[in-house]
This record gives sequence, C-alpha cells and structure tokens, in this order.
Amino acid sequence: MDFDLSTYYPILIYAVLIGCFAAGALIASHILGPRKDTKVKGMPYESGMDPLGDAKKQFDVRFYIIAILFLVFDVELLFIYPWAASAYGAETSTLPLRFSTPAFVEMVLFTLTLLIGYVYAWKAGVFQWR
Amino acid sequence: MVVEFSLIVTLATIIVLMACLNGLVAYLTLFERKISAYVQDRVGPNRAFFGIVQPIADGIKFLLKEDVIPAHVDKFFYLLAPAIALGTAFLAIAVVPFGSTLPPPALVDHRPGSTTFGKMVFPSVTLELEEVLQADRKFSQDSKTPSYEEKLKKYNATFQCVVSPGVDIGFVFVFAVGSLAVYGIILGGWSSNNKYSLLGSLRSSAQLISYEIPMGLSVLGVAVAAGSLNMERIIHHQVENGWNFIFQPLAMILFATAIFAECNRLPFDLPEAEQELVGGYHTEYSAMKFALFFLGEYTHMITTSFLIVTLFFGGWHLPFLTSPDQTGLFAILIKVGITCGKMLAFIFFYMMIRWTILRFRFDQLMNLAWKVMLPLSLLSFLALAGLTHFRPLGNLTPWVMPPISLGLLLGAGLLGLILPKSPTRSHVPNLGHGSGGIGPVCQTNQARLEKVEF
Repeated sequence: MDFDLSTYYPILIYAVLIGCFAAGALIASHILGPRKDTKVKGMPYESGMDPLGDAKKQFDVRFYIIAILFLVFDVELLFIYPWAASAYGAETSTLPLRFSTPAFVEMVLFTLTLLIGYVYAWKAGVFQWR
Repeated sequence: MVVEFSLIVTLATIIVLMACLNGLVAYLTLFERKISAYVQDRVGPNRAFFGIVQPIADGIKFLLKEDVIPAHVDKFFYLLAPAIALGTAFLAIAVVPFGSTLPPPALVDHRPGSTTFGKMVFPSVTLELEEVLQADRKFSQDSKTPSYEEKLKKYNATFQCVVSPGVDIGFVFVFAVGSLAVYGIILGGWSSNNKYSLLGSLRSSAQLISYEIPMGLSVLGVAVAAGSLNMERIIHHQVENGWNFIFQPLAMILFATAIFAECNRLPFDLPEAEQELVGGYHTEYSAMKFALFFLGEYTHMITTSFLIVTLFFGGWHLPFLTSPDQTGLFAILIKVGITCGKMLAFIFFYMMIRWTILRFRFDQLMNLAWKVMLPLSLLSFLALAGLTHFRPLGNLTPWVMPPISLGLLLGAGLLGLILPKSPTRSHVPNLGHGSGGIGPVCQTNQARLEKVEF
C-alpha cells in the first residue's frame, strides 16, 4: 500500500495561505504608505552617529562552536525521538517486546557516549564566555 | 483506511484560526501594556475608548506609515526576513490542538503468533492489512470494545480543533518549524547591514539554538510516557493518567524556561535588548515589516503557551468537567474555552515574569543553557526512561518521578553553591580611579587625559 500523506495536506494549504498573508501585508503597506526617500533616511541607524565602515565584519568564533555543538546534540535528539515514541505506551508502542531491553541499553549507551563528548567540550572551555 | 480531511472544514478552521490569532495578538499588546502599566503604578493606554480600540488604531498606523527601505540593505533578504518570521510562527500552530480532540485510533495487531503481537501497526505501510483488520474485528467482538474501523469512523466524523489532525510527528513539527524562525532573525540582522542588527541576530541565533536542546530533551519524557509524539494522543494519555506536570515537574520547569528563551521574552530578551542594541535585529525595520516581526513574536508566544498546556497541563481536560465522550457543539466550545483559558493564564505568567526577573548577561544565558539545563534535562530524561523500562513499583512507578525531579533540582542548586565560581573575566586592567569603563579604549583615553594638563 502506498504511503498516505493526506494528514499533511492541511499543513500545505495553511502554509500557502500564510505566504499569501505575509506577501499581502508587505505589498499593502508598500502601496498604502507614503514614500519620501531622503539621503539621511537611507543611512544605517546607529544612534545618530555617522556609521564607520561596513557592518558585516568578523565576529566571535564561539558562535560557530555553539552552532557545531548544537548540531551534535540536536542530531542526538533526533535519534532518541523515534525510540521515545515507539518503545512504550499502552497501545501505541510499535517496538516488539523482545527488542525492548536491547533498545533501552542501546539508547543509554548512545547517551553516555554523547555525555563523554559533553564533558570533553566542557573541559575544553567551549562553554566559557569571557 | 486513514485519517481523512475535508477541504471546506480545513479552510474554515484555518481562516477562523488566522483571524483569531491576529485579533488575539493585537489585544495581547494592549494586555501587555496594561499589565506593564499597573506593575509600574501607571494607568497605561487610556485614550481611544479607554484603550479598547487602541490595538486597531495601532494596526492601521502600521499600514499607513512610511515603508522605509534603507539604501544600504540587501533588498531581497531584507523583505524576506519578516515574512519568514511571521510564516514560521503561524505555521507552527498547525498541529497544536486549541480545543477538543480525540486521539487518532491505533490499529493494534491481534493476530496470534505474529511477531508484532500486541503492538501498533501503521495501516498505510503494513503489507498484511486485511489480516490485521480481520483479527482486530474478531478481537473487538470478543472483548466488546470498538474496533479500529469503528473508532476511525468516529474520529473522521468528529470535528477536531486542530488545523491538521492526526499528524504523527506532533510536537517535533512544532520544534522543526519553530526553529526555522532563526532564519528570519539571521536574515533580518544580516541583510540590514547595521551593526546593532548584526549583533542582535548573532546573539539571538546562539540563544535560540542553545535553548532548543534542553527544550527537546525535556519533552522526551512526555513522549516516553505517552508512547507517541502526537499531541492528541498526549492529551488523551493525560486524560487517563493525570496531567504530566504532576509526574514530571522538572521537565515542565525546564521546558517553560526554554520556551521563554525561544520567544525572546524578558529574562532572555538579549536579541533586542533596547538599552544595548537599539532594537536588535529589527532596528532597520519600519511600518508593516516591523509589524510582521512583532506579530511573529506574539504568535510564537501563543503557540508555545498552547504547547505547554497540551504537553504538561492536559490540553482541554479539566477533571470532573470534560471527558473525551462529549463531542457536541456546546462541549467543543467549552473545551476551546478551557484550552484558551489555560493558554491565557500562561501568557499572563509570561508577562508577570517580564516585570519580575532582570535580563541575563550573555555568558549567564549560555551557562544556564549548556551547563545547567542540558545536564539536568538529560538526567531527568534518563531517570524517566529507566523507570518506564524497569517499572520498579508497578503501577505506582510514575509517582517515583516527582521526588527524583525535586532531588535533581535541589542537587543542582547545591552543586552550584559548592562548586567554585568560574572566573567572570580573565583580564581586568588596572585603571586607577575615576575611570568610567574598562578596556583598552578607555585605557588610551585615560592615558590621553593624563597627558592633558588642565
């Protein structure tokens, strides 16, 4: 039997309507609002000072590290979700009983592996902001 | 054989929901301003019929003000950013129940000797659908319970107060779409070509992705308890077994804290800290473009409030008053009222917190997410998983979790007291007296000042 996506059609319709709403609001404000461009109005707002240089400069490398860490932990989460949703539950569990214990052990091992990485990151001073 | 949807009902639900959200956001701004005023012993907005039509006046003003597009911006992304901010916030509510719902029926395999005996099978992917259905019919006849097909018929015939009922990924969809809001903020900050905007968007993205992890980890326990990610099933689980916040208080606290950060509400409002960054990532936005950001932010607040009500406070359920069997129009209205009442109570809580707790410093914010909330939520989840697996006390097992939660929370507090404080700043220049600030710039100023003889 083919995979049925009909539960997701409302989301698609909703997304299209939201897109129309957002575009409509922007266009309506563009048409209705007055426009009078001046040179000063086009400048970046920096509390009244004349801006020095371009805004797109280097920024702290720690933002990148946080992003990488996020990736690691979020992917870990994604692996745990299917287990969490299918392992237990009165009538909604899909995991056969004989796989219950192995799956649990695997999940704990997986989390512990990640914990090692977490401790390493802490020791390496990734979470130190200053 | 699956959950059906009717186009007209869906369209009607969507349009009513969008209208209600817009109206609610408009009046929440008034609500917020009034609360702020009363907290600060002011009167608040009292023009335009005692403030009652103030939000409408604001809305018209947003439309009619000048639509400034500064000369230095990256035009395409600059205009795309508010649309993304609004779109993701609105889309996230698609699977969140805002009223009465029934759990989507589960097809359980009752074939004797089957490898998946007693487990749920998915009707749209299973190969032996006919056999499973037959066994199910036989089982329902023997045990006098409604069969899968009857339950499905009832489910499809009942109005569900969700835009998209029966979505199995449930709250993961909310997280997935909600975290796309980072793109709106990043694009807005980057394309504005303004230093304040860029700083605001960087802070914001770091904050949002950091708090996503404790948020996701803390609700894992709910998924384990209910055995599903589907929100309607989670509500049904709570109707039968009691609300989740009783059994997983720590998860509830962590989740509530994380959604404060996700919504950029005040203890975590660093992305737009007015006193530091003018307006943060939306400094360069005006008129309707700013309104879209604003609308997105408030809608996100509403969505997350609905989410916490659904996951931890039983959704439409109120003991002794509502039950899943009531499906009449009046019952639906009552359930919508209960859900919205709980949601508004939570939003009131949001607004009171704004005037109670001061804004964090950025390093405190990051420490809270990575050093406190992440290990706590992980430990709490592992404890719950272990309890669910081994069931040491049989049917009383869920009651073990509250003391463990309390113990974890107290333990974390004690650890915080015992552990040495991390150094706040590695290098503090000695500037002598009279210097207003710290840092190399001030130092040179100080040196310059010392040379000047008055």
